[in-house]
Amino acid sequence: MSTDEKQAVRPPSYGAGAPDKDAFTGRNGVPLYTRNGNQNDYRTYEVYQRERVKEATDKIRPIQLISPEFIKDPYPVLEILRENYPFYRDWLGNSFWVTRYDDVTSIFTDDANFETRPKRWFYGIEDLGRDLGQEVPVLTAQAARIDANVARIAAEIVDGFRANGGADLAIDFAARLPLELLACVLDLPKEDFPTFVDRYWRMQRGAMWEPKSRQAGLGAIQELVEYFRPILAARRARPGDDLLSAIAGLDLEDGPATAEDVVVTLLEQDHETLHGGIANMWLQLMTHPEQLDLVKRERRMVKFAWLETLRHSTPVVTANRFSRHEVERFGRLIPIGALLHCSAAAANRDPRQYKEPDRFIVGRKDLCQREPRGQYRADGLPAGLAFGLGKPTRHPAVPEDRPRSLYALCRDTATTASNVLLEALPDLRLKPGATPALRSLRLGEMHTCWHLPVVF
Amino acid sequence: MDSVTSFLSTIVENADKPNEGNAPSSATHAPRAQSVSAHDFPLMPVGEAYDMGHAPDGTPLIDPRIFNSAEFYRNPYPYYKIMRDHYPVFFDKLHNCYYVTRYDDITTCYFDDEGFNTIPKGSSSGVLGNTQLELSGVEHRRRRNLYGQHLVGKSLDNRMHAIESIAEEMIADWDNLDESVVQDRNGVRSVAIGKAFANEFPIRVVCDVLGFPKESRKNFFYWYNSMMSGLGGSETHHQGLEARQDLEDYVGTLVEERRAHPTYLYDAAGNPIGKDIISKLCETQIDGDYLSTEEITSNIALVVGGGGETTRGAILNMWYLLLQHPQQLEAVLEDPEAMWDVAFHETLRHSTPIGGQPRHNSFDIELHGVKIPAGSLVNMVDFSANHDDRIFNDPEAFNIFRPDLYSGKLLRSGFRKEGKCSHMAFGVGPHLCPGAWISHQEAVIGSKILQRHLKNPRLNVDKMPKDFDGSLMPIGLISAKEVWIDYDLE
Repeated sequence: MSTDEKQAVRPPSYGAGAPDKDAFTGRNGVPLYTRNGNQNDYRTYEVYQRERVKEATDKIRPIQLISPEFIKDPYPVLEILRENYPFYRDWLGNSFWVTRYDDVTSIFTDDANFETRPKRWFYGIEDLGRDLGQEVPVLTAQAARIDANVARIAAEIVDGFRANGGADLAIDFAARLPLELLACVLDLPKEDFPTFVDRYWRMQRGAMWEPKSRQAGLGAIQELVEYFRPILAARRARPGDDLLSAIAGLDLEDGPATAEDVVVTLLEQDHETLHGGIANMWLQLMTHPEQLDLVKRERRMVKFAWLETLRHSTPVVTANRFSRHEVERFGRLIPIGALLHCSAAAANRDPRQYKEPDRFIVGRKDLCQREPRGQYRADGLPAGLAFGLGKPTRHPAVPEDRPRSLYALCRDTATTASNVLLEALPDLRLKPGATPALRSLRLGEMHTCWHLPVVF
Repeated sequence: MDSVTSFLSTIVENADKPNEGNAPSSATHAPRAQSVSAHDFPLMPVGEAYDMGHAPDGTPLIDPRIFNSAEFYRNPYPYYKIMRDHYPVFFDKLHNCYYVTRYDDITTCYFDDEGFNTIPKGSSSGVLGNTQLELSGVEHRRRRNLYGQHLVGKSLDNRMHAIESIAEEMIADWDNLDESVVQDRNGVRSVAIGKAFANEFPIRVVCDVLGFPKESRKNFFYWYNSMMSGLGGSETHHQGLEARQDLEDYVGTLVEERRAHPTYLYDAAGNPIGKDIISKLCETQIDGDYLSTEEITSNIALVVGGGGETTRGAILNMWYLLLQHPQQLEAVLEDPEAMWDVAFHETLRHSTPIGGQPRHNSFDIELHGVKIPAGSLVNMVDFSANHDDRIFNDPEAFNIFRPDLYSGKLLRSGFRKEGKCSHMAFGVGPHLCPGAWISHQEAVIGSKILQRHLKNPRLNVDKMPKDFDGSLMPIGLISAKEVWIDYDLE
């Protein structure tokens, strides 16, 4: 084989002047794949794969992290990780687990080295539309409409089951409230509500590893786009004070907002923390009567119950961060693109931060009692990581006309709604014999209470 | 409004029900094997894939939990077929990795050792140590040749008689084995060919080739078993590390001895024909410096690891498959000189003991429309390449007479000759298994010698493990668990 022929088969070298797009040919001379990276990306992947020699992680098997027991109750397994392997290399899931409070927050504040990928990425539809959830008019419209309606909607929901003498707080109240609020914020016609809920849930549940749900979710996204297209046009023509009108009225650099943008905005937000947080808070209050009495006596404690719930039983167990480049953390070299499972559930029970972390104590002294706004140590105290796992708000707290962050909005919503419930049903208590528990429906989904039968 | 409440309740209730994303149904095929994984899929007839749902355009879906299931371990090929046909690059979001499943793609990627780097350092997590498995380019070639040269060509020819005598010795020992391995009834002997021969034979050969003293053989099994079952992330990882330490201590003293007094291999007549591998490594220099004991240990650990399980699987699978296809067995027994080689290659194509190799891509690439960011874990599935019907006609059939499989002398730097493709059991390209040649010789020589002793061999179906429907257990991934052979004693 002459030198020229060799050149034809081998890819060009990656020295200076090499093209940064490089087709590599397969057996038949057909280009098989292209390399899109440039020469600076080249890395032999030898250094950063070097692991700690002699480290044996024999207290845990990686299969436990996807087992049915873990889906129901992740805390025991997470405790093993946190106390023994704080930065655990999961060979099965090809990922790392971060479980201590300081470690998790350090990864979350480090946007230079790590990124949170949007749900669109998991769906593979990055180009569908823009996420407008951080635009000031959108946040303002959302907050205004929620503040105006949350008490009324909560009261309506309670009235719906008050006559029954009993209810399932998880389904009838906690799961329902965020959806009704969302429909109210969007100002959707009442008759569309059931279809909307169905599509919304399918969309939210599909951005995961499960292929059937993903198909269903993609279908739901398409349906929602078609559904919002005429509504958005109508709101643009005749704006109201709702979220859709706010989106329609945005003055954006690359063209006016489309129905796709609306759906993407809805996809990237979610109801999980509000839904799961309310359900979990009421589960804890129902199963801790002394805490419930405290909350009943002093209504301002509802807010602290909410904060403690987000710490003690966060509905969001883990959030995924990806390394943006090769970076050393916790004594290990993390390769580019590595997946880090940052576990809020483990961090929130970290005994280095909280005394008796497994106990539910409303008003505990070692928990930050303010809205952390994406910081993790306001007042020098740690906050429960639940929202911190999402995108911190882009807007500073001052000047005062800035919209409240979603953390604050959610906290106020949950507090108001729970106060309504306490007012309406003063002798609310757990149905005798009921043993409610937390669980996820599926690996990676929110960890919450799905059945909370109560009587009043 | 009640429709919303009932919708939510349905979601919760269905969480535990089959086919709703939590636990697939077992209703269709009632009897199931004992659970080996967290996620159970129903056992399907061999060659038939469990229906994991379809996209609107009819494309079958792959539920990534299948890769952890017992069903997949015994019946992987229909799932790989779905992947080859519909997802030539499959992104498994649960395990955060990519699978490449077509023959052409895999061979191309294997040859591109700049674009695809080899297994991650940590995957052997200190058990195997720093070996050339984890290197590329010149650095890889240099280290590989350190001992690779002792496993091929003239060095290999010199070892043939030693391999033969080990096999003869082991078979002669059958008269002394207990009932759980060898049973004599009415002039018929039943032998568990795995326990009585295949499990130990390759390890003894490796032991001999390396130049370990005979008395270390017992430790050798300990090192081998512990290290192989103790690779990264497994339950027995710490045992693997202990075994590695033990091996290192032992090899350390051995190396000190051999540096001063090298030992030799001898031919049939008792004449020295060359130093054993440890003695050779002791006098090997890189960049003008002798190899450290740590490096020698790592190289030895790699030979220890590579030389056992794979050849064992090849011998067991070959006999298992041939005994199930008597016409092919007959053809082999009639012309052993030519046909054992052919049977060996077809066995490795049909049932490979090594599933494939992980790679990491150095660049962002796009393969079959799937974008793979730099640094991703990309699994090259050799199992699937060997059953790719774009290359091999009727790939699920075991057929030693197949015209489209290259089964001549192993190709050192290619996978295609005379218009035929080779199987992928040893990989291709720069990281082609350096033990391929010796493994081939072990399996073929071992089988020829077995053939001389086993008169009228047939499967003892009663003693063999059964599938859920009562038929013989398929080989599935890796190798047959145990093969019982009956033969006539004169």
